Amino acid sequence: MFLPNVAQYPTDPAGIAGIWAAWLLMLAIYSYPLFKENPVYRFAEHTFIASTLAITVITNIDSLIRGPLNPLITKGQILLIVPVILGFAMYALLHPDYRWVSRYPIAILVGTAMGLGMASVIIPQITSQVISTITAPTTGASKAWFDFVVIAVGTICATLYFLLTYEHTGVLKPTTRIGRWFIMLGLGAYFGNTTLFRLSMLSGRAQYFLQVLKIIPM
Amino acid sequence: MSSEGIWDRLQTIDRRVFYWILFIALMIPFIRPIGLPIAITPTTRGLYDELAEVQPGDVCLLSISSGVSAWAECLPAMVASVKMLVRQEAKIICWGMGHVDVDITWNKILSQVPELETYTYGEDYAYFGYIPTQETTIALLGSNIREVFTLDKYGTPIDDLPVMQGVNTANDFRLVLTSDTGDVGSYYIRQWHTNYDTPVAEVGIAMLGSSYMPYIHSGELFGMTVGSRGGAELEMLIGSPGDATITMDAINVSHILVVIAIVLANVGYFATRGKR
Repeated sequence: MFLPNVAQYPTDPAGIAGIWAAWLLMLAIYSYPLFKENPVYRFAEHTFIASTLAITVITNIDSLIRGPLNPLITKGQILLIVPVILGFAMYALLHPDYRWVSRYPIAILVGTAMGLGMASVIIPQITSQVISTITAPTTGASKAWFDFVVIAVGTICATLYFLLTYEHTGVLKPTTRIGRWFIMLGLGAYFGNTTLFRLSMLSGRAQYFLQVLKIIPM
Repeated sequence: MSSEGIWDRLQTIDRRVFYWILFIALMIPFIRPIGLPIAITPTTRGLYDELAEVQPGDVCLLSISSGVSAWAECLPAMVASVKMLVRQEAKIICWGMGHVDVDITWNKILSQVPELETYTYGEDYAYFGYIPTQETTIALLGSNIREVFTLDKYGTPIDDLPVMQGVNTANDFRLVLTSDTGDVGSYYIRQWHTNYDTPVAEVGIAMLGSSYMPYIHSGELFGMTVGSRGGAELEMLIGSPGDATITMDAINVSHILVVIAIVLANVGYFATRGKR
């Protein structure tokens, strides 16, 4: 048996002050789209940036201590000094005379990320996708076959749309036009999901607005 | 007196008017729930079915790569997943990357899953906090967790945590639940599923629904919840309605409003096109 969520309206002064501060700052941020740019909005914006920066610094220092520094100091894993030095070398970006030093950690970061990406992208993002696209459904369900045909036609036509070395005439004209429609449908679905995401965030804030006022339970 | 007709005025509505209407309309369903039905999608069903197969003692990973700003989208599904894992008596390992506010999200999950009170920290679950960088770290975590972590978030050496005994590579995990607002899910697919065959599921924002659907078709994701709707579906499947279920009415109302606005604006555009 599942228990209900236990989040409740805070009873301690610090908790109450916290939710009201968040409520007021939220309204201050929303004063920009709902009214216009104003000093209250700027105050909330600057507070947000400052607190985010503070959390970022603290969290990364904590991560540095629990990551390479702890085994380096307590277990004598001396090689871990290398990533620590490379990490600090990134801060050379801040000094024009020593900016060149930062190129080494950046080069290593870019190189490893590219190497990992190139090595691992082929199977999941190319071969597996091609196989799943050309593999016919094993069940005889009409919906599965309909999906299979739609995906196959969409993939072929959308790929042909990017065949830029030939003029889109003759047989290429209708197929590339169908391809363009599929691309637009895909972008439409993506945009629809984006809208859904933004509205979900807004609904979360609307819910919080009412919860703090105790109009609905927290 | 302006000679503009209603269709002309529709073209020039101040966007703030729409924002106000939207913000107020979103609040109404919270006060007076409508109770619109929620259909279960195959992607959420896939996630639920795999979670239901988890055996007691299986070690499962919750990777949090979504920030506090995405709580409305991701948190309900994370909470529901953790509830399900606790019901299955699985062991839970959690860490986060990409968003430095991961501690706040983890604490929120703890506060929303009272079932975790039956669990003992260190024995049944462990939390490792934020880790920087993404794909390179995920690759290293897959090959040797102890090269990334020597301490948990609270400073306990990893080898002193009973839950971590025998857990060192991606092979030691029964499954991965990755909650994203970006690409981290694809990194787990590339580095953990491809290399170690570890099952991966996505608990993502709605924007990722269409991006990650090809991975569902190819079987590289065993399941996915798409935004708060996915969270509501999972809450229904586990029989524990929560925030997402409550939110769905408001989201549906907002969608209807957006659709009406789009239709009206387009009708206005076509009605006045001749004049211009």
